[in-house]
Amino acid sequence: MAFTSLSFLILVAITVVVYYVFPKKLQWAVLLAASLAFYCIGGGKTVLYVFYTATTVYAAGLLLGYFNGKKDQVPKEQRKAVMEQYKKYRQLVVLFTCLANFVLLYILKYWNFTAELFQPLVDRFFHGAQIPLSSLLLPLGVSFFMFQSVGYVIDVYRGKYPPERNYLKLLLYVCFFPQMVQGPISRFHELAPQLYAQRKLDYTNLKYGIQLAMWGYFKKIVIADRAAVVVNTVMDNPWSYSGSMIAFGVLFYCIQLYGDFSGGIDITRGVARLFGIDLAENFQRPLFSVSLADFWRRWHITLGAWMRDYLFYPLALSKPFGKLGKITRKKIGGKLGKIIPTSLATFIIYFVIGIWHGANCRYIAFGFWNGSIITMSLLLEGKYSAIKKKLHINDKAAWFRAFQIMRTCFIVFLGRYITRAPRFLTAIWMIKETFLHPVLPNLWDGTILTLGLGIMDYVVILLSVMVMLAAEWYQEKHGVIREALEKQGFLVQWLAILIPLLVLLCFGILRSDTISSEFIYKQF
Amino acid sequence: MKEQLMQILTECCPDIDFETEVALIDDGILESLDIVMIVSEIKDVLDVEITVDDLVPENFNSVDQILALVEARKS
Repeated sequence: MAFTSLSFLILVAITVVVYYVFPKKLQWAVLLAASLAFYCIGGGKTVLYVFYTATTVYAAGLLLGYFNGKKDQVPKEQRKAVMEQYKKYRQLVVLFTCLANFVLLYILKYWNFTAELFQPLVDRFFHGAQIPLSSLLLPLGVSFFMFQSVGYVIDVYRGKYPPERNYLKLLLYVCFFPQMVQGPISRFHELAPQLYAQRKLDYTNLKYGIQLAMWGYFKKIVIADRAAVVVNTVMDNPWSYSGSMIAFGVLFYCIQLYGDFSGGIDITRGVARLFGIDLAENFQRPLFSVSLADFWRRWHITLGAWMRDYLFYPLALSKPFGKLGKITRKKIGGKLGKIIPTSLATFIIYFVIGIWHGANCRYIAFGFWNGSIITMSLLLEGKYSAIKKKLHINDKAAWFRAFQIMRTCFIVFLGRYITRAPRFLTAIWMIKETFLHPVLPNLWDGTILTLGLGIMDYVVILLSVMVMLAAEWYQEKHGVIREALEKQGFLVQWLAILIPLLVLLCFGILRSDTISSEFIYKQF
Repeated sequence: MKEQLMQILTECCPDIDFETEVALIDDGILESLDIVMIVSEIKDVLDVEITVDDLVPENFNSVDQILALVEARKS
């Protein structure tokens, strides 16, 4: 069930009505019923994977709660010893839960990729043997709900909060419907109390929710789906285009990806807000990033935070990394010696984030690209500082910040060649073509009008992107726009809803021939 | 102990004024990479065992909080 479909809007409308007329004690059950309905309609039998994950993390939570509870049965001074006594059991529970979910995720998402990768090797040593391929359907938003659920188990292990003892309530946390398509990856202690809260109908929540969702639909339908036409035309057959047209296609892919993903998240957060639920932010104006590391802190924030808390910290502070640190401090010394283990852990995390995007050599290369640049910038930080000092560059000067933003955009732009090209080697060829054979006149000789969009569409995209950038610039400078809107009168507040709606009607829904509707991150 | 800690902090993050900042995490001044470097140094130089469970904002927002964590783990 796509967010842009009429059936989704009907489901949301019905759920909102039933949610607020139902007895408050059972409001969470309405959300659960709507979530299961959403998943069953959109994913059919794959809803079983949701139950599987919910069951594994529910059982793990109860077991961890049992072991954690042992410390409360003894005097304070013995608690540490008791926790140590049960540490191995607790670790085993976490390990088993991670394996139970991530092995399944591997089979669903990566098995066929590795099977195809290793088949030539099998052919060589075992003639005629065939690695079986998986025909399992990829469940909707599988990595999102699995990451969110495993995060819950690790937090219970760390004693951050007690486990949820009501299976159905935990199931709702796992499958809350607005975030099942593309996240955000929420944390239990932030989301669960909101899901189970009892609420009255609130005008502000409804208004904020609709405003945010309308903004999301505008970004998705007017910008992203329109830009997708150019992207698909160029990327389906890049060999037919010059370097400048390929770059034009990749630029439109950047626009499409941002409109699609951030628009989808705005819809998700807007719909959740209708129920008074404030979901985690997933974007903080990534276009204003001053470095690639900064970009990844602003883009898909909840995935980055998940990786930081559950993978980067445990890895960087693990015993092997501690030993490595001791060796590098001794052998290399100085800042470089201290930073090498952290840089290695950073590289691994960005590599994993790359692979998380999909089972393909392109994503492995994408992870390598991001990991290498961020690691190199860490290792060379001292040199950069020395150069800046020598050239008397003021870090805070506006021109230097503009330079940093443009440099980051360029690095991200190059990375997008890798993720959108049909194959990794094609991406390399495309980059080569862009710089060696650009044929710049194609940008103004009418070639762009052969890519599936007319002049009016380009004008709509240009104006829409300018509106989006202006809004983001305002947010970057002054904070939340809704708070500024709130100070305005009733008319202005509702114009903020009606104008995007009108734009959608004129340039989105009415141009149904350009609508692709599916979200790119849905496949992740 | 505080002098040693201050030395570690200023060596790891020379651009941060640890004397005055009291919202190092909440204001996004200390990033995850800085935290890992600081913790690795504390473990190595001060011989204190700090685990992943200790990496919460309440322990790293100011020098005093970091010092309290180190002293708690040392005892």
